[in-house]
Amino acid sequence: MALLLFLIVMAIILIAAAIFSIVQKDLLFAVLGTGVISLILSIFFYILQAPDVAITEAAIGIALTTIIFIITIRNTTRDENKYNDDHINKFKTKKDV
Amino acid sequence: MEIIQEILKYIGLAFIVMGSIFLFLGALGIYRMPDLYNRLQAGTKASTLGAMSVVLGVGFIQPDWLVKLIIIIVFIGIANPLSSHALARASYRAGIKPYFKKEIDAYGKAVEKQLKKIKKKLQNLNE
Amino acid sequence: MFKKLIVFILIGVIGYMLTVTFSNIPLGENRIGSLDNPETVSAFYLNKSPQDLKVANTITAIVVNFRGFDTLGEVTVLFLAATGLASILYRKEDEEEEENIKHFAHRLNLPSSSLVRTGAKILFPLLLLLGIYVFIHGHLTPGGGFQGGAIIATGFLLMLISYKGFQTNHKVMVWLESLAGLGFVGIGLYGLIAYGSFLQNTGWTGNLNDLISGGLIPLIYIFIGIKVATELTNVLDILLNIKPRKK
Repeated sequence: MALLLFLIVMAIILIAAAIFSIVQKDLLFAVLGTGVISLILSIFFYILQAPDVAITEAAIGIALTTIIFIITIRNTTRDENKYNDDHINKFKTKKDV
Repeated sequence: MEIIQEILKYIGLAFIVMGSIFLFLGALGIYRMPDLYNRLQAGTKASTLGAMSVVLGVGFIQPDWLVKLIIIIVFIGIANPLSSHALARASYRAGIKPYFKKEIDAYGKAVEKQLKKIKKKLQNLNE
Repeated sequence: MFKKLIVFILIGVIGYMLTVTFSNIPLGENRIGSLDNPETVSAFYLNKSPQDLKVANTITAIVVNFRGFDTLGEVTVLFLAATGLASILYRKEDEEEEENIKHFAHRLNLPSSSLVRTGAKILFPLLLLLGIYVFIHGHLTPGGGFQGGAIIATGFLLMLISYKGFQTNHKVMVWLESLAGLGFVGIGLYGLIAYGSFLQNTGWTGNLNDLISGGLIPLIYIFIGIKVATELTNVLDILLNIKPRKK
């Protein structure tokens, strides 16, 4: 009974993270949403008695896929509307750090 | 031997419960704090202690696995504060400023009120 | 508008076909195929793997031995992806480096703090050791070649981020990757020449739960582990040092 409740809560968080990463305009937050999906999926694989697939998903989905996406975002723009980065640039100071 | 195993099992369960309370308090701190630097402190300190407690509790319930679990605890103690330090440095260099409240001096008003009361009493005594 | 209508009709057709297929499987019955119902395919593998091959991890036996040809296809797909990325983005070192550094400043501008540098130096050999342990013991514990290679690539990534001038030797990585791939195909060809079928499993099968058991299965996983580790490190190294083309 407790296991069923735990699985239902995890499934709701999974769907919420997926919808979050589609709707977001800031690309960095969307990539982190994908990382959360990989994390919850790895826990599901372990509960369903498949430890090999859980280790593979944890090592590749959380660490390597997120890093490769972040490097790509750094080379290109951070916002979906390409020429309009104002709502992110307001956090930066005037000096070149 | 049975009695020792029972006692160790209850000690392990106590550690697991304490660890999960600390993990919940860490998550509550991330939700409520107003600034990035406050959230980093709350998240790292509470969740590191919670994770270490849970792993130690499992080690008491199954004494065969204790050596491997102590290695995991040492690794968590090295890696978590290091990553939080790197995050704080990086966010400072990116230009995010900390959060300053406008009236910092909340104690000064209480001191003024006490001084006014003492002055009134002195005037009443003098008259 | 017309495109959206076609998309919705296609989704409806595919959904209907999937529902018809999945409704033939009765809900709640135990299809995991334990040793209780000996008619399914998985019961055959679960019976044969500890008795004939003497390998404790059944998943490793299926991936490398019973369905080894599909693993060869997966290694080929990884190799194609890494080669395609390298052919677009990789350029050798040039003498005129000043303009490139100003335009794409992707190495660190300021050095990292000394805490991060010391911590990375401590953790890097431990991560390498964990990765090598995972793919050598692939037939005894959960794990294998792909998982161990990913852990080693994460260790190299830690060093690449923390240090300003850390470079991996590109020639050594390329040669290691090619030789490991050749080793895997060479084992298959040896089986073809000597025994008549590609990737036939021969060699010494010891007792259950020994380190040297299961014939050629540990050797194949060692080759796959080295290949995946050097491949992913190469991809990360190329992505972090992108240089623009000469005009």
